[in-house]
Amino acid sequence: MKSAWARTICRLLVVLMVWTPYQIAQAGMIGTDQAVSTATQADRNTVLDFVGRADVAGQLQALGIDPATAKDRIAALTDQEVQTIAGRINNMPAGADATGILLLIIIVAAVWWLWRR
Amino acid sequence: MVAVAQIAVLWAAARQNARAAGVFVCASLLTGCASLAPQTALLREGLPQGLPQRVELTAVPFFPQVEYQCGPAALATALAASGVSATPDDLVSQVYIPERKGSLQVEMLAAARRQGLVAYQLAPRFEDLLRELAAGTPVIVLQNLGLTDGWHYAVAVGYDYDRGELILRSGETERQVLSFFVHEFVWQRSNYWAMVAMPPQRIAVTAEESRWLASVAALERAGGPRSARIAYRAFLERWPENVKAAIGLANSHHALGELREAEAVLRDAARREPDSVIVLNNLAQTLSDQGRDEEALPLIERAAAAGGPFAGAVRQTRQAILERISRTKR
Repeated sequence: MKSAWARTICRLLVVLMVWTPYQIAQAGMIGTDQAVSTATQADRNTVLDFVGRADVAGQLQALGIDPATAKDRIAALTDQEVQTIAGRINNMPAGADATGILLLIIIVAAVWWLWRR
Repeated sequence: MVAVAQIAVLWAAARQNARAAGVFVCASLLTGCASLAPQTALLREGLPQGLPQRVELTAVPFFPQVEYQCGPAALATALAASGVSATPDDLVSQVYIPERKGSLQVEMLAAARRQGLVAYQLAPRFEDLLRELAAGTPVIVLQNLGLTDGWHYAVAVGYDYDRGELILRSGETERQVLSFFVHEFVWQRSNYWAMVAMPPQRIAVTAEESRWLASVAALERAGGPRSARIAYRAFLERWPENVKAAIGLANSHHALGELREAEAVLRDAARREPDSVIVLNNLAQTLSDQGRDEEALPLIERAAAAGGPFAGAVRQTRQAILERISRTKR
């Protein structure tokens, strides 16, 4: 039993050692997002964005999306986009439906027709 | 709402006495129309240079929407035109919000990126919409067809300038024809929101340099370094002087483990912008990752001396390089 544990831990350590240099390498690069954005307080923004991401994921969940998917969806947004929709999802336009619109189209078309005549 | 009220009043007047009202309607509309659809009025003055009289992208497929899911249907249409095969059902889990019965604009952009495409929001100009169509790119537009909350995504696939008509895939209609006026009327309510989803090797004809770069950087984040690498290369062919794009290309190479390529790109960037802290930092890091810490050290020292908003990141890189050097000396 003890040796099985030792073996598992050894394997884990090997895996971690393999991973470590790569992770440091990635950490050392300054990301393109930061080069492109004009934000100067990079560190502060990172914290804000983290809060924003969790916050937006929570809002999506409240609107009927399962937690794992919500996280994925937020991951695909840029920092700026997350900040745009945080706290505002309920009031933003959400494209939905083409029915129930005919009235408006008919009115507009009629005016158009009268004008062209 | 004022516009709608105006129309209703005019309509009522027209119905009471069509002939007499006609003069009045025409007179008031000649002044009123330009404000109802200012860009259509502008287009009426003449076809913008270089545009054909008519275009129709007949090969763009059609996915009829089910329920409220025009977002996934419109997106699948645009993706298919860029060579990505996804059905609306595949996309529902990425862009549809059940309680809102709809899709947010930013999620439409994000979902296209996740498929490895560059998603770009067009400038709010009718002319740009026509230009993209003329270049063979279908355009997703957000319209508001209701009196208050009738938001709807459709895909523009063509136009006929002489007839003043736009051709769309919309809802359950495979070939919807709307006059420029009607389209502008329902489109301007989303502040002329429109997007294209392009394969990474292509650049939208109406692309603006800085906004296209932001779109490519967003692709790097969501769609992975492989697509981003292609997109940055295409970007640099068009705008070779852009150092930020070079940084992005190098980051994509680095993420893929192509350290030599990353180094070459960054050295070239350093020649053009020798004082860029990001270039110095990333070049030093890339050299260090190849075990060339002695070469990396003077570069990171220069970055550290420059200070600025990235000082924290530079300090960490420098620390890591110094540690690696002392480790190899031991």
